[in-house]
Amino acid sequence: MRIKSTIIFWLSVAVFTILSGTLYAMEVETLVRDAVNYYRGNASFSIVDMTIHRPGWERTLTIKAWTRGEKDSMFTIIAPPKDNGNGTLKKGKEMWMFNPRVNRVIKLPPSMMSQSWMGSDFSNNDLAKSDSIIDDYTHKITSTETHDGKKVFVITSMPKPDAPVVWGMQRLRIREDLIFLSQEFYDEDLLLVKAMTGTKIQMIGGKLFPRVWKMQKADKKDEYTMLEYRELLFKENLPGDLFTLSSLKNPGR
Amino acid sequence: MSIEIKMAWRNIWRNSRRSVLTILAIVFATMLLVFMLSFQFGSYDTMINTAVKIHTGHVQVQAEGYRDKMDIRLVVPDPAAVDDVIKDIPGVEAYTARTNAFSLVSSSNRTYGVLLTGIDPEREPRVSTLKKLVRRGKYLAQKDTNMALVGELLAGNLKVDIGDELVVLGQGRDGSVAASVLKVKGIFSSGEDKFDRNSIQIPLGYFQDVFSMHGAVHEVVVLGRSLEDVKKIKQKLEAGVSSIDNDGNPAVLDWMELMPGLVQSIKLDLVSGLIMYVILIVVIAFSILNTFLMAIFERTREFGVIMAIGMTPGRLMKSLFLESVTITLIGIILGIISGGMVTWYFQGHGILISGASELLNQYGLPERMYPQLSALSVSVGACIVLIITILTAIYPVLKVRHLRPVEAMTAV
Repeated sequence: MRIKSTIIFWLSVAVFTILSGTLYAMEVETLVRDAVNYYRGNASFSIVDMTIHRPGWERTLTIKAWTRGEKDSMFTIIAPPKDNGNGTLKKGKEMWMFNPRVNRVIKLPPSMMSQSWMGSDFSNNDLAKSDSIIDDYTHKITSTETHDGKKVFVITSMPKPDAPVVWGMQRLRIREDLIFLSQEFYDEDLLLVKAMTGTKIQMIGGKLFPRVWKMQKADKKDEYTMLEYRELLFKENLPGDLFTLSSLKNPGR
Repeated sequence: MSIEIKMAWRNIWRNSRRSVLTILAIVFATMLLVFMLSFQFGSYDTMINTAVKIHTGHVQVQAEGYRDKMDIRLVVPDPAAVDDVIKDIPGVEAYTARTNAFSLVSSSNRTYGVLLTGIDPEREPRVSTLKKLVRRGKYLAQKDTNMALVGELLAGNLKVDIGDELVVLGQGRDGSVAASVLKVKGIFSSGEDKFDRNSIQIPLGYFQDVFSMHGAVHEVVVLGRSLEDVKKIKQKLEAGVSSIDNDGNPAVLDWMELMPGLVQSIKLDLVSGLIMYVILIVVIAFSILNTFLMAIFERTREFGVIMAIGMTPGRLMKSLFLESVTITLIGIILGIISGGMVTWYFQGHGILISGASELLNQYGLPERMYPQLSALSVSVGACIVLIITILTAIYPVLKVRHLRPVEAMTAV
């Protein structure tokens, strides 16, 4: 009897551990997925000031941006006047750039996707807000912090074996109300390469959202790129003909 | 003439066949070393000159840190002031200015990342071979604007020919978007794949417009009359440039700093050459040691006799040593003459290295190589042979010291 009950006890402990383990894993997956969806929305329109800061040099661009789902996005520079009308269209893995002065569209080779966008610290891939962080990584909550009285989950994301990613690890900070606070990118040796942090959380576009995003390379203290949302609207959908080459050439609408 | 010298001279020609063979071994070794060293130094000269003429010039003035980062914002703001400094430096053959920017270049259906270089169409040919490398179409003219010279491999990749259009998209010095439509005017081929695959040359003035350079350049390129002038030019340039009132000191770099890869490959080649020479010299040293040893052992009886009639071991050693030294000197002098003549012939005619042209092209080398006869290449080889032969000659001579006349006379 005694032996039997001990066995049952340990079996139930084991079952409980396994169950809670998977439950826990699913919870983290859901948390990350929900946070990405919250951050991205179904579709969005925004006007952003992008400030590129370098030692002894700084430059600010104003960009109109449209995004739809994880695949389609379009950016058009509206200021300074010299660069007005320069645009970038991204559909899935393909990307085009348009310059109004020469009135031509250039298709970017895939090898350029990890290059910086317009000389900033954001790569073309960063702008895409892709599903990669959900699909290609396994997540684990490593600790919790508090921020403005709310719980913040620190999540360590390791790439799945064979996932086509460039990072060796990512570390996410997600607040319990699904707001992304930071995303850190590590290389294969688990050294920090660059980090994106969101600050000034405000009501914008109908929900709480970090108004300012800063992307900074780890080894360069006085080089960073800052995005500040002037306007942000989340939408249910955007018309498909917005994300076409002809709309890239006529960004007036 | 002392008796020892007389004896040494007579002993050499007493067995003339043996002496001639020994001399020939030395002649051959010296000749080979003179030729090989001249050939090696000659190929280095060709490598350096070719590379210097295609890319870097002998000395460059750039903004501090530009070489490592190639950042378009790191500029020499006032190239005219640098030109004024260069003008007064003796030993300068020619100089020009260049600008560079990494850009996207796109033909109707292909896009590549390319190094776009702005060149002064008039001054560039005096510094580099670019004008001669234009194989099809024409070189740039002074008043050209959106004309481009495209590397042959790049033109193939982009699938463009003379007269076709290329769209360029990059970032200007002020961070703005730089865009332009270029027309292919000429196609160049340097033979160096890397250069032909990713570079486009456009007129400097047009580059400065498109990339908002405001008159600034990235490199002021100086070509000296010869490699030997480089050090002096660099020093004078450093002194002169630091007196120009600039924000931030421009850096003065010579070709060794501009092309560390070239310097390393020369060092590597020199070391592998050195190993070859060591092996060659060891083989020759042993064959000479052998003949010297034989020459003394087969005369043991004779030494016994002359020592018995009063020759001291010291004088005998002196005479034998003089014998070896004379043979060595004759060999080396003949070797230098014949080696010099062979080298001189090929210096005029060149050596065709057929079948290795692809390998050579990677280093930008021509198929025909020219050895370069110099005081260094002649003397180094000869000196090494001299030292080794004399060292080998000492050992058998020292053996004579222990000869006892009575025992020696009875030796077979």
